[in-house]
Amino acid sequence: MLPATAAALAVLAAALAWPVPSLLRSARWPGRDPLVALVCWQAIGLAGGLSIIGALLVHGLAPWGHSLPEAWWSWVRGEAAGGPVRGDHWVTMTLAAVLALELVGVLALSWYRTARTRRRHRQLLELVVAPGGAPDTRLLEHPAPVAFCIPGARPLLVLSSGMVAELDEAELAAVVAHERAHLREHHHLYLLPFVAWEAALPVLPAAGRAHAAVRELVEMRADDVALHDLDGADPRRTLAQAIVAAAGRPGAAVIPGSALGVTGGAVRARVVRLLEPPAPLPPAARTGALLAAVLLLLLPTALLLLPAL
Amino acid sequence: MNTLGELERSVLEHLWAVGTPVTATRLRDEFADRALALTTVHTVLTRLEQKGFVAHDESRPRRFRAVGTREEHVAGLMHEVLGQAGDRQAALARFVGSVNDDEARLLRELLAGDGR
Repeated sequence: MLPATAAALAVLAAALAWPVPSLLRSARWPGRDPLVALVCWQAIGLAGGLSIIGALLVHGLAPWGHSLPEAWWSWVRGEAAGGPVRGDHWVTMTLAAVLALELVGVLALSWYRTARTRRRHRQLLELVVAPGGAPDTRLLEHPAPVAFCIPGARPLLVLSSGMVAELDEAELAAVVAHERAHLREHHHLYLLPFVAWEAALPVLPAAGRAHAAVRELVEMRADDVALHDLDGADPRRTLAQAIVAAAGRPGAAVIPGSALGVTGGAVRARVVRLLEPPAPLPPAARTGALLAAVLLLLLPTALLLLPAL
Repeated sequence: MNTLGELERSVLEHLWAVGTPVTATRLRDEFADRALALTTVHTVLTRLEQKGFVAHDESRPRRFRAVGTREEHVAGLMHEVLGQAGDRQAALARFVGSVNDDEARLLRELLAGDGR
């Protein structure tokens, strides 16, 4: 029987749904190493999904065997259960199937809708943009200072004429380097599961907060990568100037903005981080965090595959 | 470059610039330097119509015009592309969102107070 395994997975799922992400969100170290923090977030998301579905499945299949693979196989072959099968076994099995389908389905749907939106945006843009200063940039005639990239097989990096007019050459190079970092490291893929799960679990505020945290980390990571590509006396200050100039110009008001406090706070955090860089994470702490992420994934996997205690 | 995308762009730019309805033959003559076949011009116009950027009237021969001005297209595009609704947030990575006036002042103070 598997009740201990199911209980352990349920406890893990509960921890990953609330206290663990909350701890990671309020921790100060992610700003010191956004990439490691991003890996931790992916591990939390994956392990959380695995353990909640696993807990339900393990409980539901408990009458059929002593380990999940064994019970699953015996159930698939239609063998008689070793113990009494109660109503709650069927309920949890159904819940596991529904939840697994929802998570995977929402992920697929989110992927599809995002791809469709990108295609449409690219279509709208390609009719009006002109070649920009670099081979991979495009110029959009508009007074608001805006820069963005659309990821995908044919990425598009767009600068508005307002942005070009507002910034000097070094600042502009910093903006382009930041956007190139998003494209090169495929940051949209880090965000995809969190966008999807926020849509799938609107009742869970933790999903929305996790999404916001990952979004902020991705921006910090892109800042870090951009700094490596920039020369000049003080690339940190150049990039910070570019951020402040692009975020706070009156021209920015003509386009739908995010005048939310959250966004303002995130922009401020980025600027502060550039002006007063925190010490990088020591190698030992870095390894420790990565190890914790791996263990977080191994724990539910082991609970699912190993025979019950 | 005579790829369809490039042609669509040129034809739409032309329609925006003239501002009055134009026939397909007239368009072909306008782009004489590209040696376009009339069918190619029609293909381009059909594609632009499907995307909702061009419309034709019922006169014979049919005359084509741009739907809206270039400025309207760009304004609508900025609104849609940089809008904040749900899945659109994932569609692109924006360098930085705009902030309100108080935040903007705070950011400038941060930059100024850095002591350099």
